[in-house]
Amino acid sequence: METTHPPLLAPHQSRYQLFVSVAILLSFITGAEIVAIWLPWVHWFLVALLVVLSAVKFGYVIFIFMHLRWDRWLCTAVFLMGLLLAGGTALALVKLFAVGDSIPLTSQEEPPAPPANAAPSPARAQ
Amino acid sequence: MSSATTADPAALAHHDPTTATGVPNKKILMWAFLASDCMFFGALISTHLIYRLHPMPGTPSPREIFDLELTSFSTFILLMSSVTMALAVNAIQHGQLGRCRGMLMATILFGGIFLGCQVYEFNHFVHEKSLTLSGSILGSTFYTLTGTHGIHVLLGVVWLCSILLYSAAGKLRPQDAIDVESAGLYWHFVDIVWIVIFTAVYLLEYLHR
Repeated sequence: METTHPPLLAPHQSRYQLFVSVAILLSFITGAEIVAIWLPWVHWFLVALLVVLSAVKFGYVIFIFMHLRWDRWLCTAVFLMGLLLAGGTALALVKLFAVGDSIPLTSQEEPPAPPANAAPSPARAQ
Repeated sequence: MSSATTADPAALAHHDPTTATGVPNKKILMWAFLASDCMFFGALISTHLIYRLHPMPGTPSPREIFDLELTSFSTFILLMSSVTMALAVNAIQHGQLGRCRGMLMATILFGGIFLGCQVYEFNHFVHEKSLTLSGSILGSTFYTLTGTHGIHVLLGVVWLCSILLYSAAGKLRPQDAIDVESAGLYWHFVDIVWIVIFTAVYLLEYLHR
């Protein structure tokens, strides 16, 4: 018995629909991010949620709009190398400056006042 | 422009048998450039975050300065420009030059709106909120980061305008799809950088601590 199949979409047509669907999804995620910041949820959870939602948007753009999904792995590898170096450096810097001794001096609390009978330091004496 | 004139441009975009890597050289060059640009923006974003986590005494509150509605609108506009750019690349890869031109024009328009919003925002911050480049650490890191991104958007708009003019002169052929795709990669990169800036610089400031 012969069966009939609906005609397949042309490749460019199916990708057009994919791009539009991804655009709608990205708009929805952006809206969800804006709503999320006003919710009375725990701070760490909201930060994690925003980071995850941004990562999802980032992933959709590079894999769908930038065609990494259809390109050779070499393109992904080249970009991820730079991304990992950048992310690692940023994370290391943020962690490094969170250590007590690394916090910029002027952002810390005022240092305790020296005792009244203490000799002035050379720098202050000037 | 591309030397390949006989093969299918859509297929060549993902596999070029004439190169050692199998990837068009222009594309691999663009990906390498974008990887290096990631490190550039990584340094700027982390600098901003460090000084926001350890604010100097007297630093103004970003929450009282930022305008979330305007920034959300800019974000939406940039997302839409990414879609039109992807559609422009898709169109030229399938030989639809007219549609490609239309999508390029839409992308340029969205990019112009984004830049207009940024100019308005900077002007508002300087004159109404007194947030200047040298007035505080927040101003320095904020303007350096978002200004650098804005310059990237401006360069992208100039690049797309040059492609449009080239196309209007009848010199853009479907075989040159890789040139439009390279511009598209750059444009999408500008979009993903904004995705990170929108969350790290703007949204995180609004969370209740």
